[in-house]
This record gives sequence, C-alpha cells and structure tokens, in this order.
Amino acid sequence: MQTDTQRERFTIPIGPQHPALKEPGHFRFSVDGEIVTGATVRLGYAHRGLEKLAEKQNWVQNIYLFERVCGICSHTHATAYCLGVERLAGVIAPPRAQAIRTLVCELERIHSHLLWLGVSAHEAGFDTLFMYSWRDRETVMDLLEALTGNRVNYSVNVLGGVKVDVTEEIAQAIYKGLDFLEERTHHYLQVVSSDASFLQRARGVGVMTRQQAEVMGVVGPTARASGVTRDIRIEAPYAAYADFPPQVIVDERGDLEARFVVRLKELLESYRLVREILARLPEGELTVRMPRRIKSGETVSRVEAPRGELFYFLKSNGTDTPVRVHARTPTICNMTSVVRLAVGHQLADVPLILAGIDPCFSCNDR
Amino acid sequence: MSTVTSIAALLLFPSGLFLLLSGLAYEWADRKLLAQFQNRVGPRWFQPLADVVKLLAKEEVAPDGVNGRLFVALPIIALAGALTAALYVPLFGLAPAFSFPGDLIVTLYLLSMLTLCMGIAGANTLDRFSLVGATRALTQLFSYEAPFLLALLGPALVAESWQISEIAAYANGRYLLLTQPIGFLVAIIGLMGKLELPPFDAPEAETEIVAGALTEYSGRGLALFRLGKGVEMVVGLTLVAAFYLGGVANPFAFLLKTLVLLLVMVVMQALMTRLRIDQTVGMWWRYGALLVLAQWLITILFHAISQVHLMG
Repeated sequence: MQTDTQRERFTIPIGPQHPALKEPGHFRFSVDGEIVTGATVRLGYAHRGLEKLAEKQNWVQNIYLFERVCGICSHTHATAYCLGVERLAGVIAPPRAQAIRTLVCELERIHSHLLWLGVSAHEAGFDTLFMYSWRDRETVMDLLEALTGNRVNYSVNVLGGVKVDVTEEIAQAIYKGLDFLEERTHHYLQVVSSDASFLQRARGVGVMTRQQAEVMGVVGPTARASGVTRDIRIEAPYAAYADFPPQVIVDERGDLEARFVVRLKELLESYRLVREILARLPEGELTVRMPRRIKSGETVSRVEAPRGELFYFLKSNGTDTPVRVHARTPTICNMTSVVRLAVGHQLADVPLILAGIDPCFSCNDR
Repeated sequence: MSTVTSIAALLLFPSGLFLLLSGLAYEWADRKLLAQFQNRVGPRWFQPLADVVKLLAKEEVAPDGVNGRLFVALPIIALAGALTAALYVPLFGLAPAFSFPGDLIVTLYLLSMLTLCMGIAGANTLDRFSLVGATRALTQLFSYEAPFLLALLGPALVAESWQISEIAAYANGRYLLLTQPIGFLVAIIGLMGKLELPPFDAPEAETEIVAGALTEYSGRGLALFRLGKGVEMVVGLTLVAAFYLGGVANPFAFLLKTLVLLLVMVVMQALMTRLRIDQTVGMWWRYGALLVLAQWLITILFHAISQVHLMG
C-alpha cells in the first residue's frame, strides 16, 4: 500500500455484501491495527417501498403485504397491523382469536430467538452451537407448520380474528415439542454461561450500561440485557397478553453474555406462556365481522416483536384503503448502539456486537 | 538410490502426487468428522478433490495493484515448501526419502513457508480484508512457531539427534506422549495453529474479514494454497505421531495414529469458539511457551541424572 504523508485512516468496509451480514447493510469501520476507532452505518439497501404500496391496496390486502416485511417476525407485523385496524374500526377480535394470536407470537419468538442463537454463535466462531441450535429450531418450525400450514409467513391473522384453530392433536404435538426444546434451552443456557472459550469472547465485551441504553433508546432483549425493564407485552398488553402476562427477563450486566442469557431465559418464559395459553384456551368464535371501509381516524399500534418494540401508525379516511401506514421496527432503535459500542473494541468483536442486537435489515428498510 | 527411484519418490510416491491426494483425503476426513460432531452430514469423499479440480479449471483473476509475478509465484512456492518438507518425514510408515543431520529444523522452516507465503500474498494486494488477514496470519505465525518448534525439539533432546529419521527410530515403540505430555499438547495445538483450524482461524475468520489473506485468490492460486494446506496437515500429523505416539513404522500404524491425532484435533475444533488474535498470542506466549520450556527443563534434568547413573 502507498504510504501517504497525510495519515490516512485505514477503513474496513463491511457490506452490503459480506459473509458476516445475512442481509444487506453497509458499515465502515476505521481501525488502528485491530482496534476500531470509528464506525458509521448506512441502511436502506433492502428498501421495497412497502409503505407506499400499502396506500394503493385495500385493508385486507395489506395484511399479506405487512406479513412480508420480515421473514422472521412476520406474524408480529401482521398482528400489529390487524390490531391497529381493528382499533380504528372499533372491532375487538374474540378471545379465542386473541389467544391464538398470542400463541403464534410466542412460537414465533421461540423460532426467532433460536435462530438468533445460531447466527450469533456463528459470528463468534462457535459453529457447533450454531448447528445444534438450528437443528433444534426445526422442532418449532415443524410445530408452526402443523398449526398454520406454513414455515414462514404463517398467515394466521385476518381482520377481526384468526383463520387457524388449535386442535387437541396439535396442542399435544406442541407440548411434546416444547418439552424437548426446554431441555435443550437449559443446556444452551449452561453452555453460554459456563463455556470458557465462549465466555472469553462474550463476557465483558460490548458492555452497554443502563444509562447508555436509555439514552440511545434501545429496545427489546438488547435493552433488557442492560437492565432496562421495557416490554410492550407488560406496559401496554395487546392481544391476550393481559390474561397471560409474561415475566420480564432483565440482566444488569449489559455485555454480550447478558444478551445471550436474556434471550435464552426469554425462551424458557415463552415455553411457559405457550403451555399456559394451550391449557386455558378460551372457547368461542375465531372471527367477528369487519366492515370493508374503516372509519376515518388515526391510531398507533405497538407490539413486542422478538427484537423489541414494533410500532405501527395507521391513518384512515373512511375508505377501503389506508391513507398512511408506517412501520418502525426495533432494529433502527438498536442500530445506534452498534455504532457506539463498536468503537474501542477489537475488529473481531464487531460481528458479535452487531449480532447482539439481532439486526433485521429488511425489516428496517421495509 | 538411483536417479529413477529418486524422481519417482519426488513426483509420485511417497511424495508428489500421492501426497497431494492423501492431503485431500485428510482434509475430507477432517471435514467429515467435524460435520459428524456438529450433527451434519458433511461432504462426500471426493469433495476436496472436486473443489480443487473446479478451482484449477477456473480463471485466475489478478486484481489491480498487485505485483503480478509475486501473485502467481507465491502459491507455487507455498506448495513447493510443503512438498519439500514431506521428503524428510517418514510418510506412510516408510523411511524418509532424504535425510541428513539437522533436517528437523529445515523441515519445520519449510512447513512455515506456507504461512509466510500466505502472509506475503495478503500483503501483496490492496484489499483491506487481505491486509488484515495477512497481519493476523503473520502475528499468529510468530506466536505459535517458537513453542511448536520447542515442542518438537523435546523428543530430539532425548533422542540426542536433530535428524528426523533417528528421532523416529528412537521414538519407535516409546510413547513419549507419556513422558512429555506438555510437549505433545503444545505440538498438537501448534499444528492446529499452523493449519489455521478453528479456534485458531482468526486469520481467515469469515464473519470478520471474509477469507483473510486469500480473499483475492481464485482459480489456480487458491487451489495450490489449499493443496499445500492438505500436504502440511499430513506432514504435521506424521511428525507428531512419529515423535510422540510411539512411531509410525508401518503403513497401518501410520494410518491409525495420524487418524487418532486428527480426531483429537477435530474434537478441539468442535468444542472451541474462535479466539481473537490477541487472545491467541496471549495464550501462546503466556502458557504455551512457558509450559514447553518447563517441559524442556524437566527433560534435560532427567536426562542428565540418567546419564550420571549410567556412568556411575
């Protein structure tokens, strides 16, 4: 390399195409040797103009559109959207429908957290954990398929209810699958909090204090791993979460290990919730009648996606198409923390710090 | 040895073509075993060979800003270094093709050629990933090289020779693994560092720096580097097995012992998380080098005492 008289900063570009990124995003890390001295991020590579498209389709068609914002938390997006539209229309879905929505939300959280566990282990260079956690994730994927007919984009929600029902047979299959997953999760929890070679990559790395987390407006498990008690399921219960309240898992340490521990403990909490919902599933109808035109007005709908708070803004002018639908995903809230935390760390820690927030670029770019 | 057999030994068996193929076979065994430990299916038996054939058929792209001659020569030098090292090693249970006093040192340096060439290859390009990878590869070389060398000199010390064939003859039937356990441990972990296997794969950590020093290599150059790595694996396993596991006097013992060693390496690969480069260096100099020096001291003391006994 040419040596310049001016001290030029050595920048390492990561992305839009890079093995560490499963989705497109662009980072520039200026490094001094192995130490990161500066970081910038550029997003928007997976922009699909979904919000604009939503203004041209009717309320029902938009369910399918927003289910496809994200491949991992698609049900959460559809739930946020449907709950918002139902609120605008002044309709409340029947209790059984709400419980099934909640059930699928939690199953989806299980699948998302297990997926994240594998991806993060891979970023850290621990491929054995990656392979095992993804093998186990197949269990919950199969359960979701048995319940809804799809492995991704479950298409459970309709305006005013849900379109799948939980039969006794499926409930038994879910109980059985969860028993297996619970045993595995306890094992993984032990691995991430006791394996020496793993801990020297995770313990004390990427520490985000509670104050930092609050200032940067971090959400979801990333915030909870820094001691911030923030969970939409508790703060503003939606669907059936008022009847089936989860426990908030908080860890004060704020390092990468805490983010692993929090997500794994949330898995255990999700298993408990799913069992409880199945045991006390309300009887009754699955849908109520929805008007085709939605009363004019605007509303906000918030749900807790596996990655944190998902926020929908909906505006109607009384026709069968929305005036404006806006979705803000948890990734944009958490992204600042990556850029901030990376500085001062080794280059080798950066992929793990990035994976620590469980980024979802396509979600974020919409 | 007549000229014809010498040439045959160089080009066909035990060095040359046969060695290249066995390098690929060991690479396959490594990948397959690792896959089994990770609950995967793993590659088919001919996959490494198929990869090499495919790479050889591909166009080799020399990026802008590289020294073209160096870019082409480095993979060849790397492979040549590994193949030359093989000549002094008792491969497949046969006597080394060539031997002279002090060939142990020469062999160990020839084995380092590969890493050195990869380092230079990375530094030769303008690619950031390659530059970081090259820095890491060379940093890692400096950390494991000395302990690894000392670990292999342990058996040389008790055999009172720095000639591989003589050490192998001394170690035949004697399991030095039992008398010099630390040396064995350092040797096998050093070999993993040399081969850049996980957890010492920081120089080619794909989630950070894509393919490290070899990011810009494609086609023939990449194929030659990979072949060189396969050869180095066989040579390294042979050396450690011959020195520490009671010798490799016949092909059967060779196969058995090198595969056992490979299994140990695979288990470590499956169990560990990738080390950061500073952790690698710290580990080698803080523990590896000191432990192997302690081993040396003990060996020398024992040796001296037994000599005194013999004389007395």
